[in-house]
Amino acid sequence: MTTPSFRDVEQLSASLDGQLSQAEKTRLEARIQLDPALAAMLADLSQARTILHRTPKRPLPRNFTLTHKMAGVKPPVPRIIAAFSWASAAAMLLFVFTLGANLFGRLSFGAAAPMMAAAPNVMGGGIGGGPGDAASTQAPLTSEYAILSSPTPGAQMNLAPHPTLAPDARTLPFETRQTKYTGPVNLWYITWLFLAILFLGAAILIRWYSILAFHRKSSPK
Amino acid sequence: MDEPALIRNAQRGDLDAFNTLVLTYQGMLYNTALRILGDEDLAADASQESFISAFRALNSYRGGSFRAWLLRTVTNACYDELRRKRRRPTTPLEPETEDGDEVETPRWLTDPNASPEEQLDQVELEHAIQHCLENLPTDFRAVVVLADIQGLDYTEVAAVINKPLGTVKSRLARARLRLRECLQSFRELLPAAFRLEEERGL
Repeated sequence: MTTPSFRDVEQLSASLDGQLSQAEKTRLEARIQLDPALAAMLADLSQARTILHRTPKRPLPRNFTLTHKMAGVKPPVPRIIAAFSWASAAAMLLFVFTLGANLFGRLSFGAAAPMMAAAPNVMGGGIGGGPGDAASTQAPLTSEYAILSSPTPGAQMNLAPHPTLAPDARTLPFETRQTKYTGPVNLWYITWLFLAILFLGAAILIRWYSILAFHRKSSPK
Repeated sequence: MDEPALIRNAQRGDLDAFNTLVLTYQGMLYNTALRILGDEDLAADASQESFISAFRALNSYRGGSFRAWLLRTVTNACYDELRRKRRRPTTPLEPETEDGDEVETPRWLTDPNASPEEQLDQVELEHAIQHCLENLPTDFRAVVVLADIQGLDYTEVAAVINKPLGTVKSRLARARLRLRECLQSFRELLPAAFRLEEERGL
């Protein structure tokens, strides 16, 4: 009776799992018949294996199913969101454009007013004829007030609008001109702003609902 | 359950399909981790971690045994945990009696549906097996847990540990040899039903 070598132990172990070829199995069986140490080792290995097979299975402490958060899955973005976002962006762009145009209009008209104020004087000389030429050279050109307060009756006559001419908007006071110009523009930029806020609000609401629905669905069962 | 279809759907990002696979294999993964690590909480963490990494790496699965592929992720998670444990050793918290003494046999872990005698048998057997497993080198432990406790064949074990069949055969023989010696020292403690039964013959 000899102590089995590791090679023998390996063969015996593999034979328990049916991993030997028919020839190897036959050879090993013959040796076991002759060597009680091999037979004892086989029995011990087999018993150890049986005990391991019977290891109790522990119940799970919890389920290991994944939530979307664990898996790193982001909530899908509803397609309608894109439409609302673009609509909101377009409305905001129009709002900015309208607001800019309005401001530009105010600035340009406001800057042009003093220059235009001199126009009646120039025109006055041209239209009325007569002493207007003298008035135009004597009175300060840049001051409407100076022309209106001129003591020359002819000059005052020359300032009266010509009946054949259409009323010139440039001769109207600045405040009057502004009121006539800005009315519709105000309406437009309020409209664009309202639409931009409305679309943006809709986009945010839809996204919020979709995230809520996603998390409700992915919460552990 | 059509496993290949579930795997395909999961690969396309269907989490429900993957969770169906989780429900099928979670018991096996958890018990494998538990036998390798010897700690319930660490085993639960390793199982959860391995399912997460499996979902993320699902596209790298190229067929073959899905069970072996999953067991590979949990075995790797266990190796990582054992390496971490070695770097930062901790003292396990054992349940205590009213007098403050540690309870040697963790009876609080047993199946409450079993009779007291069965519970005792199971606890003692489990205690002995776990003690002997923990005395094995990690590589041997993984092989013996996969082959003898989970019942995988040599090919699957080789796929899990990513080693040739010869290595599996050799490690398993060494592990069984060591376990045989260890379990014999527990012979008196083992319940009668588990005392080294006769299984002679090839």
